[in-house]
Amino acid sequence: MNNKFVERPRSFCALGGAMLTAGAIPGVVPILHTAMGCGGSIYWNQVGSTGYLGAGYCGGLAVPSSNVGEKDIIFGGTDRLTEQIENTAKLVEGDLYIVLTGCMTDIIGDDIHSVIREFQAKDVNIIGAETGGFKGDGYKGYDLVLQAIITNFIEKKSEKINSKVNLWGIVPGQDAFWRGNLNNLRSLLLKLGLEVNSFFSDSDTLERVKNAGDAALNIIVSEFYGIDAAKSFEDVHGVPYITFPLPIGPSATEEFLGRVSEALDINKDVTDKVIESENTLYYKYVDRIADTYNDQDFQRYAVVVGDGNYSLAIARFLADDLGWMPELTVITDVFEEEQQDKINKYLDHFNSGYKTKVVYETDASEIQYHLSRHWPQSSGQKFYDAFSPAFVIGSHLERQLAINIGAAHLTVSYPVGNRVVLTRGYAGYSGGLNLIEDIFSVLVAQR
Amino acid sequence: MSYVDEKVAPRREERLGTCVDFGGCACDLKKNFNGGCLKNNDRGFCQGSICQLLPGLSMLNTIPDSVVIVHGSLGCGGSGHSQSAAVRGRQILGGSTNPRGTLWLSTNLNERDVVSGGEAKLEEAIIEADRRYRPASIIVVSSCVPGIIGDDLDGVIAKIQPQVNGVILPVHCEGFKTKVMATAYDAVYHAISRNLLEEEEDEVKVIQDEFEEEAEKIRRSRQVNLMNVSSGTPGDEKELTRLLNALGLEVKIFPCFTHPDDMKYATQAALSISTCPTHDDYFLKHLNEKFGVPYLLRYMPIGIQNTNSWLREVAKFFHLEDVAERIIERETTELELSLMTIRENLKGKKAMLSAGEVRTLATAGWLQELGLEIVAVRPYHYDEFGEPALDQLIDKDSNIQVNVGTVQPYESVNIIERTRPDIYLGHNSDNVWAAKSGVPVLPIYGGPNTYVGYTGAFDFARSINRVLKNPSFNQNLRKNVRQPYFKNWYTDQPYKYIAQGGND
Repeated sequence: MNNKFVERPRSFCALGGAMLTAGAIPGVVPILHTAMGCGGSIYWNQVGSTGYLGAGYCGGLAVPSSNVGEKDIIFGGTDRLTEQIENTAKLVEGDLYIVLTGCMTDIIGDDIHSVIREFQAKDVNIIGAETGGFKGDGYKGYDLVLQAIITNFIEKKSEKINSKVNLWGIVPGQDAFWRGNLNNLRSLLLKLGLEVNSFFSDSDTLERVKNAGDAALNIIVSEFYGIDAAKSFEDVHGVPYITFPLPIGPSATEEFLGRVSEALDINKDVTDKVIESENTLYYKYVDRIADTYNDQDFQRYAVVVGDGNYSLAIARFLADDLGWMPELTVITDVFEEEQQDKINKYLDHFNSGYKTKVVYETDASEIQYHLSRHWPQSSGQKFYDAFSPAFVIGSHLERQLAINIGAAHLTVSYPVGNRVVLTRGYAGYSGGLNLIEDIFSVLVAQR
Repeated sequence: MSYVDEKVAPRREERLGTCVDFGGCACDLKKNFNGGCLKNNDRGFCQGSICQLLPGLSMLNTIPDSVVIVHGSLGCGGSGHSQSAAVRGRQILGGSTNPRGTLWLSTNLNERDVVSGGEAKLEEAIIEADRRYRPASIIVVSSCVPGIIGDDLDGVIAKIQPQVNGVILPVHCEGFKTKVMATAYDAVYHAISRNLLEEEEDEVKVIQDEFEEEAEKIRRSRQVNLMNVSSGTPGDEKELTRLLNALGLEVKIFPCFTHPDDMKYATQAALSISTCPTHDDYFLKHLNEKFGVPYLLRYMPIGIQNTNSWLREVAKFFHLEDVAERIIERETTELELSLMTIRENLKGKKAMLSAGEVRTLATAGWLQELGLEIVAVRPYHYDEFGEPALDQLIDKDSNIQVNVGTVQPYESVNIIERTRPDIYLGHNSDNVWAAKSGVPVLPIYGGPNTYVGYTGAFDFARSINRVLKNPSFNQNLRKNVRQPYFKNWYTDQPYKYIAQGGND
């Protein structure tokens, strides 16, 4: 557990992650049981960090919230919560309400579950999760909401359907490209002949989430996020899971599809055919940028900065697919040793054999020191092998670093405040093409 | 003993009887407010809102050469991500070629800290902030968690201050402590007043020059404090400075974007001039009591009438009435000419407004002057500082509808469906709900526009005129995007969930 301050945190608190997660599931209305400013704080964060992900159906400052004050903190907030739920059910149309607690109500120990049970007894479709901000970051909030859904909403089914899978590990808002990423991976899995529930994508429905219990496998495209939810799913519904780092580009995606096929015992010919046709299509496009790549010398040294998902995914894409040198990979999460081992293992088997230096650093202003340590600065020699030409792929906080070291810059990881994101995704084959478009567009932008 | 001698500024509920829950006509608002019957009102259905921490951070994040430490959970300072855009803009205007934007640290209080306290972590953050960034000031803002686990912010700071170079400012902004987000202004000014106003001894001149001394005296007799707000734009400051310069006054701007070392100059002015009365009273009264700086605190210079009044008050203080009248004559003549065709277009259009107290009411006043009909105003809170602007509205429309609430868009959309305004001028995070109702929107502050003075009056008019030229975007939203409320909500009274709390 991180016990240090964090500069300009690259994450929501648990409540923020939980609110965005709940609000991203079709038909779900979050009800905050928090102090009055939590909704505003999350929203004012969201509009500067998530590629301009707006409030949506009932997020932002429309989110129902008990807004507990000093009196409630002293005498308990459950009466206020009861009143709030009662009126929310009258006023706000939701297929499922999820009560999310904040720091204050968690600390005073409001028993939300007995309040929720009263409403369930009156046929209100409602569950709850304890998501006080001090419990962790936005990723933790994501995991807690998924666990609540898995435990209290998804129906138990004894028969499993062999071709049915659930997909998660991409965190709405923390990943500005979450919709595109989920859509890209969904459509690949559909091509393998699978039925896919992915909770948050354009094609998902609450009905499908409710019936997710008969899947044969849970596929988590992250080594770090949603893992406890996967364990809950296994405990409650008996569905096993696999994890695989977010796949971006043909090398990682091919391996990902191979892993899924293996776990589900899918006919190898089917999988190979999908991989071959996707790969062919990918290179049909890459073919047309090859001229510029080679004429303009578009190979770059790179610094990659991002969370556990993006840092690995982008470093690998740059090394294995783009032929770049991701010299320094900065992972902005605070990870335990076990998680660090997973990272090292993954980074050790790049197809290209390229080795990136990994550091763990939450604070944007410290990254340049890490780079200086890794790539010694000029000591005035006439012939100096500089860290150039260079490219920084990180958050918008890395723009300063890029300017300082004379590198180009693209924002991909949170906070994403200098790009607008709607359908775009980087996962899979088509996502790799998107990333090529965006990277090279930066290089030609001044022409 | 003055408020500033206490560690924490009082809540506005107590200090001013401020109200945040009301719906009805303006006369009832005035009557009940003055009777003290509104401060215990409540809502039975609430939506996520804005606590005092958020405007507090909006002000503090602007202070140059400083680090904000948000003592609380990981998420509490997150609004800094969106505010960075405006701060970067100012840094670029200030000449930076590689602007940093906002800079804050979160003490990231976790489950262990909730049990065992967060003071040690705060100490570490302060020391490291001083070492790493060498700031002029380290602004420690406490959010809810330290307030409830009992961290002694002032104690930690008193202990650590001798070890660090930057001046440490404790700012108490626990969100759960007040329903009035405007308490934030007092909390911030409280910290500035207690820590940054100490006068340094007058410097001794190498060459004693009587003429120079006399010149300095005259200069100071014409030096004014112009108070800004974090929601103000560079254009706003430029416009008001222009007008005050035209009166022959020298302007220093406080507190947003003012260097911590320069805050003390606020004590040397001949006069303090507020641009948003509800924002500044705490500080201006303190400057007056402690340093004898008189102040003006009545008008927000939005629209011609308010700007005229604002300017006349300043001029009267300096006995410059004639100059002011000449400026007013010149500005308004030219402005009226430019407004002629726009006025025609806007006449009879219906408007609804929603934002901070005085800004909302004063802007509504300008729209009335422009010939628009105001279907409702939604100030985020109401206290005595809203009264002059409210009276102006009542003068033109004695039945004007006022809905006091901090955001609460469910009431907003209900009123919109009843009144179908032609334009909505709202606060950021508020506008989108009007947009989904199909109403054209103009943000009521921010961006590249000017909102105050004569330039602002014109900008409002021409921007509304522009927005009305093509309302397709929001009309399409109304057809294609759903609001989250059941249909029957729109047939209910918009103030259904506001409960009268009565007197204490």
